[in-house]
Amino acid sequence: MIAMTAKARAKSSDILLSVRDLVVEFATDQGIVRAVDGVSFTIKAGETVGLVGESGCGKTVTGLAILGLIPSPPGRIVSGSIELQGQDLTQLSEPELRKIRGSEISMIFQEPMTALNPVFRIGSQMIDVLRRHQQLSKRQAHAAAIEMLAKVGIPDPAVRIEEYPHQLSGGMRQRVMIAMALSCGPKLLIADEPTTALDVTTQAQVIEQIIKLQSEFGMAMILITHDLGVVAETCRQAIVMYCGSVLENAPVTELFAHPRHPYTLGLLGSIPRLQADRQTKLPIISGMVPDLLHLPSGCRFADRCNKVMQQCRQQRPLLGALPDTSTKVACYDPH
Amino acid sequence: MEILQYSLRKLIAGIPLVLGVTLISFLLIVYFGPDKTYDLLGKNPTAEEIAEVRSQLGYDRPFVPRYLEYLHEVITFDFGNSESTDEKVSTILSRTIPVSIALALPGFILGNVLGVMFALLAAYFRGRWIDKFIMGFAAIGMSISFLIAIIGFQILLSSSDGLDLFPVRGWDTSTPLQYLRYVTVPTLATVFIALGYNTRFYRAVIVEEMTRDHVRTAKAFGTPPARLFYRNILKNSMIPIVTRIVFSIPFIVISGSLLLESYFGIPGIGKVTYDAIITGDQPVLKAVVALTAILFVVAQLLTDICYRAVDPRVSLK
Repeated sequence: MIAMTAKARAKSSDILLSVRDLVVEFATDQGIVRAVDGVSFTIKAGETVGLVGESGCGKTVTGLAILGLIPSPPGRIVSGSIELQGQDLTQLSEPELRKIRGSEISMIFQEPMTALNPVFRIGSQMIDVLRRHQQLSKRQAHAAAIEMLAKVGIPDPAVRIEEYPHQLSGGMRQRVMIAMALSCGPKLLIADEPTTALDVTTQAQVIEQIIKLQSEFGMAMILITHDLGVVAETCRQAIVMYCGSVLENAPVTELFAHPRHPYTLGLLGSIPRLQADRQTKLPIISGMVPDLLHLPSGCRFADRCNKVMQQCRQQRPLLGALPDTSTKVACYDPH
Repeated sequence: MEILQYSLRKLIAGIPLVLGVTLISFLLIVYFGPDKTYDLLGKNPTAEEIAEVRSQLGYDRPFVPRYLEYLHEVITFDFGNSESTDEKVSTILSRTIPVSIALALPGFILGNVLGVMFALLAAYFRGRWIDKFIMGFAAIGMSISFLIAIIGFQILLSSSDGLDLFPVRGWDTSTPLQYLRYVTVPTLATVFIALGYNTRFYRAVIVEEMTRDHVRTAKAFGTPPARLFYRNILKNSMIPIVTRIVFSIPFIVISGSLLLESYFGIPGIGKVTYDAIITGDQPVLKAVVALTAILFVVAQLLTDICYRAVDPRVSLK
């Protein structure tokens, strides 16, 4: 009995972040939009989880909600909990959250060209973050910032630190963002499409850099992306989102070898492959993403699903574990 | 050094503007302006008398020499003597411009500083009652005519029907206290009106800046609100704010206080300009117009240099 509780505790302490039944709503002129609807997942320390889905499926909002950065008004977290090592972030006050932002949890954004403050030198911005979260003198913070810039692969960091964001290329700016995000040794990094705005060669370099640093710092990462290729390369676990809810949550190898949800299947099917016959048409998922203001009452994917049943239209399938796998899927008839 | 070179280039580039303004003002005020012949001659002049006076006044000379003569006046800044008081125009200007500045400066500074402060407040509490309250007042300030504001404040503060605290009109700067007594009511009226426009404008600028990506980044790194406002929002909103402030300088020096000065009987440049328009005092008008044009060129130069100071992306090349 005692042994069991100890074991259970050991298991739960592995879990770094636990999101449960998160609901985020935005008030618009047309009505209330539920951008995130009952999202649950857990992340273990040091693990990389990919959050995959189309634009507008709620990936970024989920990321912002973890840091308490939902613009309010119009948005708000309606219900659910976000626990970081047992501490519910949704219950924290703004000053308490500020202590966590940038130190325990960091976030990097999609658009490196605009994500840095254009009127301050990058050094000044990095030192600002370092000194806010750590007891450092100006000189120590300056040295730490140079060290971080070197770590993310910026040549001549001592020179570059005196430059303004506009003097750097997009890839360099994203590296500066990464350096800033990692400077206080966060336990969790939320990377919101960190490479989408970069050109392809830079993309690979930046992703590689992130992964290298992630293992070096031993932090967990949520990689928000619509690029399944990046997920396959970098993540252990993948969460597929659609219209604000999770459709499938599976280990990456499982997901690619054996996609369970028809939507996941469709997503994987619509990736162009080099080996494929050039004459064959690239399969697409038919139909359109439903309007978030008028979501169907049943499964959100029902209208586009080729296996749709009566039941799908009546009641939303809940995310449940498939027997004998570590995959969770929200479908009445998984593959 | 870079700034000096840049200033010189900009000033040279400003010459066509000054030329254009002087040409138009020459056409309107001098060439097609009031004909003084009959004022000077009195009743029943003979044709010879008319021709003589016209040639004395230079009316019979062709366009180009007359315009060049005007340009010469602009360059040497010697516009001759006023036609109504026979005082040297440059003496009039050097006497009245300081008065105008002393009158307009407090309102100008308060109007902008308070405008930015209220705009920050309104932007921070966007959509809440404090925002609606401030913007409501701004709308009132914008909707009321300047003259009504002047009369309103006068009745409230200067008349025996109101508090009767300040003199109704006039100007005295002999002691700081006297200056304060005379400048208060005009300043209040100016600030009341300016705040309406300024707050609205600055709020729009600040709200736009608040939604920028780098503001979100700063929030994601735990920047507290005060620092966020100063480092991310205010500093980045400086370009439109500086533009607005610097470009209103020519107005406060020259024409902005026209209504204020004529209404309060303050002997500033605005009053002189007003009187010159009424009496058709060409030398004074020519000087004021030329001065305004030159000030605009200088203000433009100043804004560009200020841009460099607030935004490292701006190059003076």
